[in-house]
Amino acid sequence: MTRKESQQLGKGLAFLSPWLIGFLVFTLLPVALSLYYSFCDYSLLQSPAYIGTENYRQLAADPIFLKSLKNTLIYALMALPAGLMVSLGLAMLLNQKVPGQAAYRTIIFLPSLVPTVASAMLWLWLFNAKLGLINNLLDQAPFSWMISALNFVLGILHLPQIATPIGWLTDPLYAMPALALMSLWGVGHTVVIYLAGLQDVPGELLESAEIDGAGAWTRMRHVTLPMLSPVIFFNLIMGIIGTLQVFAVPYIMTQGNPARATYFFTMYLYDNAFRYLKMGYASAMAWIQLLIILALTAFAFWSSKRWVHYQGK
Amino acid sequence: MTKTSLSRRSRAEKWTATLALLLICVGFILPFVWMLSTSLKTLENAMTMPPEWWPSPMVPENYSAVLENKKLDFPLLAHNTLMVALLTVLGTTISSAIVAYGFAKIDFKGRGLLFGVMLATMMIPFPVVMVSLFTIFRWMGDNTPLQFLGTLRPLWLPAWFGSAFNIFLLRQFFMTIPDELSEAATVDGCSEWGIFRHIILPLSRSALVVVALFTFMGAWNDFLGPLVYIQHPGQYTLALGLQTFQSQHGGTQWNLLMAASLLVIMPIIILFFLAQKSFIQGIATTGMKG
Amino acid sequence: MQILKQGFSAILAVLAVFFLIFGGRREQGSHEGRVVVNYWEKWTGNEAEQMGQIVDDFNNTVGKEKGIYVQYLSMSSVDQKTLVATAAGVPPDIAGLWDPQVTQFASINALEPLDELAKAHGIREGYYKPVYWDACRYKGRLWALISTPAAAALHYNKALFVEKAKELRAAGLDANRAPRTLDELDRYAKVLDEYETVRGRKQVKISGYLPMEPGWFMQYTVYWFGGRLFDEKTQKLTINSPKMIEAYKWIQSYSKKLGKDSMTEFRSGFGSFASAQNPFLVGTVAMEQQGPWMANYIEDLKPSMNRWKMSKEQERKLPYEARQANYQWGAAPFPSAVANLENATYAGFDTLTIPRGSKHKKEAFEFIAYVNRQDVMEKLNSLHCKNSPLAKVSTKFINEHPNPYIDVFEKLAASPHAHGVPKIPIWPEVSEELGVVAQRVYLLEAEPKQALDEAQARLQLKWDDYRARQRARNSQNAANGGGA
Repeated sequence: MTRKESQQLGKGLAFLSPWLIGFLVFTLLPVALSLYYSFCDYSLLQSPAYIGTENYRQLAADPIFLKSLKNTLIYALMALPAGLMVSLGLAMLLNQKVPGQAAYRTIIFLPSLVPTVASAMLWLWLFNAKLGLINNLLDQAPFSWMISALNFVLGILHLPQIATPIGWLTDPLYAMPALALMSLWGVGHTVVIYLAGLQDVPGELLESAEIDGAGAWTRMRHVTLPMLSPVIFFNLIMGIIGTLQVFAVPYIMTQGNPARATYFFTMYLYDNAFRYLKMGYASAMAWIQLLIILALTAFAFWSSKRWVHYQGK
Repeated sequence: MTKTSLSRRSRAEKWTATLALLLICVGFILPFVWMLSTSLKTLENAMTMPPEWWPSPMVPENYSAVLENKKLDFPLLAHNTLMVALLTVLGTTISSAIVAYGFAKIDFKGRGLLFGVMLATMMIPFPVVMVSLFTIFRWMGDNTPLQFLGTLRPLWLPAWFGSAFNIFLLRQFFMTIPDELSEAATVDGCSEWGIFRHIILPLSRSALVVVALFTFMGAWNDFLGPLVYIQHPGQYTLALGLQTFQSQHGGTQWNLLMAASLLVIMPIIILFFLAQKSFIQGIATTGMKG
Repeated sequence: MQILKQGFSAILAVLAVFFLIFGGRREQGSHEGRVVVNYWEKWTGNEAEQMGQIVDDFNNTVGKEKGIYVQYLSMSSVDQKTLVATAAGVPPDIAGLWDPQVTQFASINALEPLDELAKAHGIREGYYKPVYWDACRYKGRLWALISTPAAAALHYNKALFVEKAKELRAAGLDANRAPRTLDELDRYAKVLDEYETVRGRKQVKISGYLPMEPGWFMQYTVYWFGGRLFDEKTQKLTINSPKMIEAYKWIQSYSKKLGKDSMTEFRSGFGSFASAQNPFLVGTVAMEQQGPWMANYIEDLKPSMNRWKMSKEQERKLPYEARQANYQWGAAPFPSAVANLENATYAGFDTLTIPRGSKHKKEAFEFIAYVNRQDVMEKLNSLHCKNSPLAKVSTKFINEHPNPYIDVFEKLAASPHAHGVPKIPIWPEVSEELGVVAQRVYLLEAEPKQALDEAQARLQLKWDDYRARQRARNSQNAANGGGA
């Protein structure tokens, strides 16, 4: 190491020191413990007893573990891309200089402030098959025509048709999309981060592009999106981490029902840890989850070299 | 392309945007209206299906019932919550910004590795470390003159060591600031700390506001932390107090829960409404990059 | 400006340090030199306040005499908070856990055994009704006492019976009483079922009976078929026994009768339990399985059902037996599927336990013993509207109880066919799985036998594994010189 390098290292570590100390005390220690527990029989109330890879071996053969993992991945595939696109669209709308902009921004953010229990109660009603707002809307024109048309097409293709009223939370087929749909409504945080990012897209660049005759789509595709890519990347990573740990809303709204159609990974982890008193088993699950998220994040980082443009470089 | 056709098009875009916003906002404000209306209903009417939007009879007494609740000292809870939230915001904003600068602007060996480790810490489910953390605070209480368990400290102390989410967020923003700026400052004899303090921080106002705002809201609404660490009612936070109206096996007083929830989130809504202006001001400060 | 800002930050930083050092001291809360006993309880709302009255009574009388102060705190997820606090070595002195946790926690020594303390206070076998005493014990020791118990019974809407009196009579049934066999219940239900046509679709309007409404005790259905879930002698789960399959076939028969989709749609229109839109209160479900607390909820949410013929004042003048006529609903033992199985029920309860590591065991038990005094127990369970766990019950308790059918629940709780939660430490997991089996069965995703066979295979594996791990742990401890 050259003198310059070690100087840089010293400076870097100095800036990192608050996090490094916190990491050692509040993260590394608990995490190291949880890695150890994952190789133990540990009920929280008895001292951990080492049992080797037994927890991992049992997980591999546990149908509920596999089901919850599958559910979580499917949910992430539905909620993550939709969430990223919807929030980006909303942020761009909110970035327009229209009258009442502040009010719109606040309103879009409102759902993220409503306590989870309160929003869960509301959505239970919206999704109610008989009395819910969504199904009542779908019963009216033009939505009812759309469904008829869709069913006509499905009929020609010999696919199962949509039976109305839709049992949003009671039908195993619809429960997952229903939850993904609901997640779109809590994108306030992501929208705000996009909004903050959009402020750094220079107005002059957009104006000159507009004068050159670029339409809204071209301006977005060639100016806004590249400039915004570091922020999109951030939201992608946070989205991966967030959707794969989905917990509170399904825990309150469906408890994993119907017939475990919405039983997610973190719910099974939580149940194992605190309801079945299997902290060792839960820790093993946590490490598998960690590795999956890590792999996906690493993939995102690898791909980011192709599409994320940092101005600093 | 003439100037008039340009402005006509942008006017059309503006109108479309307004219309779309109005429609979307109806969907997003619905829950809030519902909370408000529920908070003014009798318990009997609160859970009617489908809900009545206009409460009859109207019961504004729900609010005084919440505020004058015997078991729940609302001003004290608000004081506790504010204390925790302010200390958390202060600690996390300062420390996260410092660490983020290290990750974004100082090139040193092992940076990528440490950054990866930091990201990975976000992926650990809280329930798994909860018990170990609890044990660590207990140990710290036994072996230092400070008490931790049964005090508010475990809720805000970790925030002073940076939070991964905020560090990552700020790092992404710092990365968009051109290196030439700091290089020029180095030539002028500015120290690393000086660059951070006088060049990077002023340029990152919108991001810092976002961090402070999110942290404040998170601390204000945090439920799991207080649930684990706080046992004495005198140290309850608002989010923890809310559960008094809520029951696991039926019997939830929905009207009171909604009234209390609204009282709790109202300050943050106002805060957000006011703070979102700084995003706009953010343009003025960082606009130079064009 | 800059100086102002920096000054402000400096002040905040100083404040923070100040707060770190001096702020938020742990409150020790000494109450006039009395020993403080921390009591964590699960209830919120009315039930929490009612227990609060008992705590206040104690603090003002026995507690004052003996120098004990009970610090009462109700919270949600009390079991998980107790778990974490106990694991970290700072448990509450008394925890109001749920009944399955007695076996679950006792099997790993997370609770203090109460045998000696109970004996010293004269609480022994025979003081409780047998089902409750048995449920507090595990592996020959006593781990919990009871605060409020319950038993499940059939609740029926008399008004709907009267409305359909003619049809019931035509089917050979009596509109003035509850069904007495399961077969009769099915026939009552069929007569009471009502359909309507909405937008050309046939929909259920009223259902005579629905096993899944509210479905809280569905996993114990086999008790009314004369079966059990766990064989304590052989330590084997029996969840795919012929009787279990029969019970789940019976559950499934209801969704087959109404049609899976129309049943699901019908159920989705139900209001939540603790609301005036509760389907039993609205009259869209004519009969359901419920506990004794129902009378309290009806009083709060639909008082008219408790004043069917006359006002409360007039009712109070009636002799006890005649009072029931003033209620629009009735409660009766839930009928059994087989002969000679009278008064079968599931008997659940809320516990008072002392978590391991409590620093004031003796003082904590003083409070538990106080709650178990007959007069206190009867006061608490009148307030909560539940039956008493004690063998001896005063006539005053029966006569003044807010539930006019409390004698039905007393009879059920005292019955030899009353059973509690199976005493298997992994019961929470078994119970969860049985809930999923029930859903798969009534959503017609699986046949009862297939679903139960799968569940049995999976859970027996978990149970064998649990025992193997405990054995390994014990032998390791023995090898280490018998250390705890």
